[in-house]
Amino acid sequence: MGTQFSKIALLIVSLLWASVSIAQTIGDFKMDETELYAMTKQMGQFMRRFNYEEDQFGYKLNPKDPKYRNAEMRRQSLPILFDQERYGTQTELQRYFIEDVTKGDSTFMTFLGGHWYSEVSTTFRYNGKDVNVQLILAVEQEGLGSKWVLTNVYCPEFNKLFPTGELAEKEKHFLHPMSHELDFMNIYKAFQDPEVIDFYASKDYQPDYLTLFFYEVKKGNLVFQHVDGLKFHVFQIKDWYFEVSWFDRKGLNSGWLMSNVIYLPEKEKTNLIKFYQP
Amino acid sequence: MKKIIATLMIMLCVVGGAIAQDELSFERKQAIDSLALEKVRDLSKYIKIVGSKDTPFSEANRVIDRAEELFMSDAEIGVSSIHSNQITFYRVRKYFEHLMRLNYDRVEIEWYNIEYVSDLQRQPDGTYVGVITIFQTFRGYDAEGNLVYKDTTKKDITVYVRRKETQIGGRTIGFWDVLLGDMRVKETTDR
Repeated sequence: MGTQFSKIALLIVSLLWASVSIAQTIGDFKMDETELYAMTKQMGQFMRRFNYEEDQFGYKLNPKDPKYRNAEMRRQSLPILFDQERYGTQTELQRYFIEDVTKGDSTFMTFLGGHWYSEVSTTFRYNGKDVNVQLILAVEQEGLGSKWVLTNVYCPEFNKLFPTGELAEKEKHFLHPMSHELDFMNIYKAFQDPEVIDFYASKDYQPDYLTLFFYEVKKGNLVFQHVDGLKFHVFQIKDWYFEVSWFDRKGLNSGWLMSNVIYLPEKEKTNLIKFYQP
Repeated sequence: MKKIIATLMIMLCVVGGAIAQDELSFERKQAIDSLALEKVRDLSKYIKIVGSKDTPFSEANRVIDRAEELFMSDAEIGVSSIHSNQITFYRVRKYFEHLMRLNYDRVEIEWYNIEYVSDLQRQPDGTYVGVITIFQTFRGYDAEGNLVYKDTTKKDITVYVRRKETQIGGRTIGFWDVLLGDMRVKETTDR
């Protein structure tokens, strides 16, 4: 019963976006366009639907139009932006999210608003084998407009170079505090075991993977092969984090959709954002 | 080419005079969207003509020339199938020549009535960039009329819009120059 209710609710919500069922015939084939209307076809369309800046037919709303960013319209249309296979249509989290983003001091998503990132999954050739590299990019304003810039990179091969290390092992590797009086004659010890050279750095030291990535690319050791996938990480909405992923599937819930939604108070975001933009 | 520029100027005279490039009104954006959509519709038309087995070789080549004029000179077309994320890159002419040489006795290429136009964003040099998404179905038949291949593709087409000026009869007339850029062609779940 619950499942049936969910399906009916999803259909109603979806048809808000695709209330025209248009079919055209080609040869022996009938093409139903309803699903393509419902599909969130671009990330920009995700933002427009999120903010209710376009109507159910996909037409951009004039900012002077009373329907533009209308809270009630948003409440009705936001469920279609969730991955319904994961979140259904009536979950508590979904209701709480929608209520929160459409209340009095509504929050909207904007292209130049910052705190949203692309994660581009790629394959590179590294030391003779294919490796997966996640490139993190952000929109940065420059000159008369903006551009996407690399802000960080995640490559398991790089992380292996900087293991956290056991505390007991770390405590064995240091330069004693009077080394300066000996003209650092003992510094050779730091270089005896290259694997632990970073234990000799300050406790505040954090490896800069992006610089390492650029270095390896410049040296010709890391060679781009292809893009494997893309998703977005959005921290822009007050007290929320969500991912937006591409769902290529039949039905009225496809395209760019919220795939992972987490309640995340602003003060807890700071550390997480450092991964995306150190 | 002159005809195209003249058309653009006429259209923009209708929607209003020259205004600062960095302050696009909602109405102006709509007018530019229409211009960009015209280009994409031309592209759709050219793909259909070149893909058709009824189009003579010389006519197809003439249409490919017209298609190339729609694009920036360095534009690329990146194609991937539903089974692989790997993208094959073509220059515009090569893409059309590939389409012309497809080994079917009859093909059907149709476009869904869906054209999605993104917001225009400015890049650092001030040029506006947008993306138009369209969907196409392709069906290839053998000599016996059997369907041997079909796909549905999502085409995301970059659109560049620049404010330009020209002198006509001693007067400086502003117009919007619209050119297509890279195009991503991605096979999607058949609907």
